[in-house]
Amino acid sequence: MGSRGGAATGTRKNLGETLVEVVITVVIIGITVTALISGLATAATSGAAHRESVSADAVMRNLAESAKAASDSCVLGGRYSITYLPPTGYTTSVSPGGGVCPAPSSTTLLQLQVTTPSGAHQTMQVRVRTP
Amino acid sequence: MTRTSRTDRPVRGDRGATLIIAIGFVVMIGAIAAGLSSLVVSAMGDRFILAELRDRQYAADGAIELAVAHVRSLDAAHGGTCSAPPGHIVDVLNEQSIRVDWKHSCTSVRGGDGVVVQQRNATFVACPDTGAACTPSTAVISAQINFQQSTAGVVTHTYVQTWSVTG
Repeated sequence: MGSRGGAATGTRKNLGETLVEVVITVVIIGITVTALISGLATAATSGAAHRESVSADAVMRNLAESAKAASDSCVLGGRYSITYLPPTGYTTSVSPGGGVCPAPSSTTLLQLQVTTPSGAHQTMQVRVRTP
Repeated sequence: MTRTSRTDRPVRGDRGATLIIAIGFVVMIGAIAAGLSSLVVSAMGDRFILAELRDRQYAADGAIELAVAHVRSLDAAHGGTCSAPPGHIVDVLNEQSIRVDWKHSCTSVRGGDGVVVQQRNATFVACPDTGAACTPSTAVISAQINFQQSTAGVVTHTYVQTWSVTG
């Protein structure tokens, strides 16, 4: 009887422990998986933003080179205009977008802006001169 | 006694096992999350470095353009580009302070008609402004420009002979 009583007591002590462990485990795993999915979503969003930013950088460089190329054909007293067709979804602006070629001993400061499909802006300045 | 031991041992051995597995899982997921965070932070850092590099290169480009225009204006005051002394300017563009050093690199060449003429060239080196002259290791852009002059000594056109982006 003593032996049986001990066994019965041990089993009673363990009653519910496994259930509590499983519940705690499920809660922990649930929180962890939620956090992981959230992290993956953030990484994906960040990756898309990064890709867009790098593309905007390329657009900005192409725009700057177009501006410099336009001024390369300048002659004294002449005029120049900057033309650049950005990729779909991107918009660009140059201020001033053209005009009278700079005087030989001076430069013209241009303000370039690129707007990405998501609405983010990048700005940069370049100088152009008459060759 | 024997039966009691057989009943108790397996129950005691399993206690906490599920929790240990869960903690191991949390550690594993934590490591993955840390790796993801590191990737995102690294990508953002690279993006800023790329933008800063572009801004610095175009700031150096603009500073050299300004220096070329300046040397062109010096030409009239010194009777020719080759006569003007070496010098430097500091220009701020794209929130970058850039120094440009220039010196003359004139050579004599024989033209197609057999006449020897002097080529009026100047070399320009742009680097981030630290208060000291630019060196090859700090140079962002190095360029050599040819100044075409009329017989009256007026620069009529400039030609880019070399233009190296090194930084």
